[in-house]
Amino acid sequence: MNHMFPFRFDSHLSFYLVIYVLTWVVHFFLMAYVLAGSLWLVWTTLFPGTGTVPRTKQPLARLLRDWMPFALSGAITAGVAPLLFVQILYRQQFYTSNLLLGWRWMVVIPVLVAAFYLLYVVKSETASRWPLIARLGLSIGIAACFLFVAFCWTANHLLSLSSAVWPEAYRSGEAVRSTFALSMRLLTWVAGTFPTMSILASWQLRGMRSRTAAWDASISEAEWAVLFNTEHRRLGYASIAGIAAAFACACGYWTTLETSVHTQLIGHAGWPWLIIAIASSLFQIVGWVMQFRRPCLCNRWLTTITVALLTALVAVASLREIVRLSLANLDQATTSTRAASQVGGFRLFLVFTVLNIGLIAWCIHMVRSRKPRIPQ
Amino acid sequence: MNAIYPVNDYGPLMPGLVMAAVAIVHVFLAQFAVGGGILLCYFQWLAMTGRSVDARSFVHGYFKVLVLISFVLGALTGVGIWFTSIQVSAPTIGEMVFHFHWIWATEWTFFCLEVVAGYCFYRYHDQLSARTCLTLLVLYAFAAWMSLFWINGILSWQLTPGHWLTTHSIVDGFLNPGFWPSLFFRTIVCMTLAALIGCVVVNVIPDLSREQRQELINKAAHLMIPMLAMPVLGAWYLYSMPSDSRSWVLGGSPAMMLFFMISVGASLAIGGYALIGLWLQKLYINGATASLLLLLAFGATAGGEFVREGSRKPYTVRHVLYSNGIRPEEVAGLRFRGCVSDDPFPVIHEKQLPNEVVTIGAKVFRRQCAVCHTMEGSNAVVHLTGAWDADQMRMNIAKLQQTKPFMPPFAGTAGELESLVQYIQWVHAKRPGSWPGTIDESNLPKIQRWLDEAGTAPAGNSPHPQTTEAEISIAPSVALGSLKR
Repeated sequence: MNHMFPFRFDSHLSFYLVIYVLTWVVHFFLMAYVLAGSLWLVWTTLFPGTGTVPRTKQPLARLLRDWMPFALSGAITAGVAPLLFVQILYRQQFYTSNLLLGWRWMVVIPVLVAAFYLLYVVKSETASRWPLIARLGLSIGIAACFLFVAFCWTANHLLSLSSAVWPEAYRSGEAVRSTFALSMRLLTWVAGTFPTMSILASWQLRGMRSRTAAWDASISEAEWAVLFNTEHRRLGYASIAGIAAAFACACGYWTTLETSVHTQLIGHAGWPWLIIAIASSLFQIVGWVMQFRRPCLCNRWLTTITVALLTALVAVASLREIVRLSLANLDQATTSTRAASQVGGFRLFLVFTVLNIGLIAWCIHMVRSRKPRIPQ
Repeated sequence: MNAIYPVNDYGPLMPGLVMAAVAIVHVFLAQFAVGGGILLCYFQWLAMTGRSVDARSFVHGYFKVLVLISFVLGALTGVGIWFTSIQVSAPTIGEMVFHFHWIWATEWTFFCLEVVAGYCFYRYHDQLSARTCLTLLVLYAFAAWMSLFWINGILSWQLTPGHWLTTHSIVDGFLNPGFWPSLFFRTIVCMTLAALIGCVVVNVIPDLSREQRQELINKAAHLMIPMLAMPVLGAWYLYSMPSDSRSWVLGGSPAMMLFFMISVGASLAIGGYALIGLWLQKLYINGATASLLLLLAFGATAGGEFVREGSRKPYTVRHVLYSNGIRPEEVAGLRFRGCVSDDPFPVIHEKQLPNEVVTIGAKVFRRQCAVCHTMEGSNAVVHLTGAWDADQMRMNIAKLQQTKPFMPPFAGTAGELESLVQYIQWVHAKRPGSWPGTIDESNLPKIQRWLDEAGTAPAGNSPHPQTTEAEISIAPSVALGSLKR
């Protein structure tokens, strides 16, 4: 790889890599909301605070409980596309690691089903009346399910990179080669979910700020204003802490990578993306610091942070692929994508993508004029 | 050539059963989602036009069920099917994804529309006008049905690839001979399932009188009227099947015919009750009866899916890929160089096997048999070969496609076949600690003769238009090479 990823590869390989990275970022955006949101709910349940309004009743926790089922549905649906393209790009690696994990991989589905239903339970009014220990158990259960799924994906990914250990992994049944590498990679991504959740929730909170009157009659408008400001700051702190933790864990993961991978990451293929990832992360931090100086969430800085976050996600996803490509058989990927591009159907996909984006926009347009609906 | 993947041992469960369990549940739920959209549009229209006073409350109650069951279980079992397919036959799902990834990607755009339209209705229906609600429901139903439209093309291609085999055109592959009958048939199944679940839901909506429930049930039964077309569509689908596959369903394979009859019988029972009882006589059914009819519908779905999957044998993609993941054009080469020589994965619990011959046999079993068979569990090789002596076993496996026409030809050398026979006999003998560690060379020529007599082409009366002659002509020369080795 002598040029910036994904340029100057075979054009078919570049095309599939780009579409894979972009669809994966969309999936990650929604998935991050759910994973970080579930951890946030654990925190608010465990530490309800000493104020008059417990954290579980504050705007962010209400918002997360209300929207997480939809976000999970969206994350699973959005995940279908990268799951499809990974089978074109890295068929043998992906299938083999699936098979080597065996039932440990298959159990992801029932765990996700359980988490999905638990999200509906935590959203219900009944659950809000449960004793603390039951609510805590519920929140921890949901977060544990999502962390388990994240663990399985990380184990799957790392195993797919190490073709040399496949026969031994099959014989011994041991899917994790290095606990440290797995922990560092897993923590990088878990920490990385907080900036994403923070910005998505900030936009949502900003939209809901003007509708607090009907939320809870026992809380005055002035109290709501204080709560919203506190939540804004918390989101900013969570985002900055997430970026810092992700960076630290990524450094730890770096030490587990082979020298050949380092060469690619700091070589022509990777260095522009490394710079972009670091710069866009710094932009996010600056954006949040500027945001802290404002009395309420301001459009300009939220937009800046959002753009910086999306750029960082594309950069990190690209670095992820550079690691994978430097360990994979590039010729094999080139041959398979070249052959895949011959089967036809792309124009059909484009036509229906445009049509369905239009229809989705129409759906959203139809509900924009609704009366405000307040999460419980 | 396909890559060689590790194969997992599920104990007494053969991988195909795991696949069937996930697939049947998913198909049932997905078809409910598709039919549910149509049913909701119908009831919203009934409410808007004043034809049914209680239709609106039904729509809201039914949609909650749809979201909680279909959006959660339906979506996740869909992903589960992909994961399970990889576990069962990675080459098959790889082949399907390779040829139809843009169709799948197109289907994905409809999933996105389905989720957005569905959630817009779910969250905001009580704040939207009736007309907007109907528009959202129509969009949801359209997206759900289109997802059926796209996946139907891929699934029917597996059994009836039609002209695609010669043209490799995606249009030929997608609009294959089985596409239209399968699409229409499945659409009616979707509507029937939605109506039956509607009958169950009506019985759990609180504060409705018996007359109100009866009216809603009779209205829901309108969606089962198209079942009248099922016999014609079923016959059309059977006609579109390859003649050998059709012959198994219609008596050639007792298991397949049994499941076919279960499916037909259950459909007849549901259709008869729906049309005569619910539509013509406008009877009321309680929750228990509705649940029983739904259970019958699940049985019909399970039977139908078993037949659809089973009738593809010996292929998973007709003329393209055998059920064990080996391509027809690979068989001749594997007869020459062997099927386990390039298998990088060791045998699990290798130390429990007595010697190298049995170990190779276990590898051959894993590569060629383990997708559909276990050694001692379900569809067990030990049971199927229980009455055969060693020579009979050698001949029957060497001429596998003639022994049982829905089996693929054996794809290995004579030595590997003998190792497989030794492995099966070792298991027959209750896995003794010691076992002859060398192959009796005198058996190899006759095994090779049987392999050559059977050839490398599959059995069946509708051979591939291009490859079969080539395969048959290559067989003798390959056989000679194999003997020399």
